[in-house]
Amino acid sequence: MGLDDLLNLFVAAILLAGIYTAMSIGMTVIYGVMKMVNLAHAGFMMLGAYFALEMSQRLPIDPLITSVLAAPVFFLLGIATHRGMVRFVPVADEPTLPSLLLLFGLWLVLQNFGYAVWGADDRSIFTPLTMATFRFGGIVVPVIRLIVFGIALLSLVALHLSLQHTWFGRSVRALTQNREAGQLAGIDTGRTAMLAFGLGIAFTGLAGALLANLYSFTPDFGGSFMLRSFVITVLGGLESFSGVAIGAVIVALIETFSILVVPANYQHAISFILLVVVLLVLPGGIEGLLQRWRRLR
Amino acid sequence: MKDTGIRAHGGSHRPAARTTIACIVVGSLALLGPWGSGIAAAQSAGCPDAIRVGMVFPMTGREGRPGTYQVEGIRLAMELINAKGGVYVKECGKRLPFKEILYDDQSDQGRTVQLVERTMSSDNVVAVIGAYSSSLGQAQSVVPDRYQVPWISPGAGASPIYNQGRKWIFGVLAPVELLGYTTMKFLGSLVDQGKLEKGLKIAIVVENTDHGKEYVEGVNRWVKENPGAFKVVYNESFQMGGTDFSGILQRMKAANADIFLSDAHLQDYITMHRQYTQMGLRHRMVSYGARGTEEPARKALGPAADYIFAGIWWHKDLPYPQVKAFVQEHKKKYQREPDSYYPSTAYDAVRILAAAIESAGSLDRTSIRNALHKVRLTDSLLPGQTLQFQENGQAMTPFVIVQNKPGDKVDFVYPEDSRTGEVVTRIPR
Repeated sequence: MGLDDLLNLFVAAILLAGIYTAMSIGMTVIYGVMKMVNLAHAGFMMLGAYFALEMSQRLPIDPLITSVLAAPVFFLLGIATHRGMVRFVPVADEPTLPSLLLLFGLWLVLQNFGYAVWGADDRSIFTPLTMATFRFGGIVVPVIRLIVFGIALLSLVALHLSLQHTWFGRSVRALTQNREAGQLAGIDTGRTAMLAFGLGIAFTGLAGALLANLYSFTPDFGGSFMLRSFVITVLGGLESFSGVAIGAVIVALIETFSILVVPANYQHAISFILLVVVLLVLPGGIEGLLQRWRRLR
Repeated sequence: MKDTGIRAHGGSHRPAARTTIACIVVGSLALLGPWGSGIAAAQSAGCPDAIRVGMVFPMTGREGRPGTYQVEGIRLAMELINAKGGVYVKECGKRLPFKEILYDDQSDQGRTVQLVERTMSSDNVVAVIGAYSSSLGQAQSVVPDRYQVPWISPGAGASPIYNQGRKWIFGVLAPVELLGYTTMKFLGSLVDQGKLEKGLKIAIVVENTDHGKEYVEGVNRWVKENPGAFKVVYNESFQMGGTDFSGILQRMKAANADIFLSDAHLQDYITMHRQYTQMGLRHRMVSYGARGTEEPARKALGPAADYIFAGIWWHKDLPYPQVKAFVQEHKKKYQREPDSYYPSTAYDAVRILAAAIESAGSLDRTSIRNALHKVRLTDSLLPGQTLQFQENGQAMTPFVIVQNKPGDKVDFVYPEDSRTGEVVTRIPR
């Protein structure tokens, strides 16, 4: 492979990392505040994809713009889900069986809801941008992937700013770091958890809507993305938003470049081998590594 | 004393045990009474009211769409046969309608085995029609010999399923190896006609399943038989359900091939070809095995799906009167024409089962199995119009090659006698 081929692979990996970050951040927000592994992640991603499809068929505007609408809609859906069921799960400092079972059950319900409403046919969104590319020297950049990457990046910046500069963001960070200390400082944990769940689902729905512009989908959509999100979240350190972004880049780079040394049919296994290695060698993930490095300095 | 005690105990126990066993037997017979007498009545009457056929398909999950289409093909065939009074069973002296016992395996390999076992052991079926996809077919195919129930698959084409020496399994799809071989035979015919140059380089990227492996075997067999005609410069496999093919496609690009051959299921075909086009890849000719003409793929890929060629088991435009009649009936029942082969092979699976039952003149499973080995369906929907199972249980109907053309058009391009349009050997940029 020549230099151009390697550069093309690098660009593909970075664009993939943007997608991976967008789909993993929702899981991290929910885990950080509520210590729940959102096993309904794939279900909400699938709903996000169908939301983008329905909007693109009903509104005379670009599907990428309608995809962005998924964020506020899924924020409200997340709040409703929290009010309706998640808030009844006992609060804990680590994932509990009731929360896992509830969210897994919810995933199955959403999946079957998808089959009942949209059937099992493969659906997709096709626009003039779908196949458009631009060349930069020998590097070919798919326009749609670049736009999806841009939207994902912008949403991450918005999340970062809201976490740093709003009362809600400070509450989220406080509860992520130490729930009891946060409560003692007067944070309304119930309200913050509800908003954080809404925010997590908003990101998940947005990711699903963006991915609908790249892939075909059925009500089964999201399963393999959820597993990757889990790997990235663990790699990032479970509660760290910057760790997730770095984890997504690492997973995307390893998956993309592994083709040079590992047969392509082992590509799926690579993420999970990485998960096992991280759990054994680096249980605190990238965030743990960064903390250790900061302490040494 | 001890001995006596034991004897005394044993002596008193034996009659009690006999009584208990007798009670259990009598009780069981009493409980089974209605069912047992039902069977006895049916046997004494000679025949049931209907021919019960088990069906195990993926109606939901990853393979939900093709599975549903196959069920539609089966239902259409049963409905048309039943409308004529059913299948004539000689030992009953009358026609009996088909009755379906349908299960959805949710595209799950474990569940599909459980359901086939359940329908073969508990539903009193004379045969089971099951499995779309070679992987689900592979899972189901271990069960029929155990229960000695004929099993016909309209959607599992990988020949390892049929090459295990099993006696009760039948497959309507011709082997995938033949698909790879026919694809190369088609390309070879283009070299003979001067439409392709000799010695062009081929890149192969297939799914890592029996389906994909067998496709490559077919390609390699033809290449070996015809040295110098083509050169395989890249051969890689991928795991099904991929989300990103940029790495494998970039490596393929570096191989600098002229022709790109793949073998993939629908979702992977769509994902891969989107990335292929987005990466600006170009080859003179492109194929995704049996995929290419499906409506969801053409919607998802737009003009990028134009000029893709495919080796297919069936197409709605095949110029046979029975195909035209089938398409009309399908449209009447489901308000759409079939857009893929899925319902056609399922439809023929029912018809060949009906022919075997008529030939056997009995609902005895062994007689039906023996008849399935001998029977020939001479008005089959499939290319060649004759459906017959080989020694190993798998059909060997020929493939036809079609090529997508702009405006959602599809042309038959091989074999020559079925050609409806000119083959394009250099995809326009």
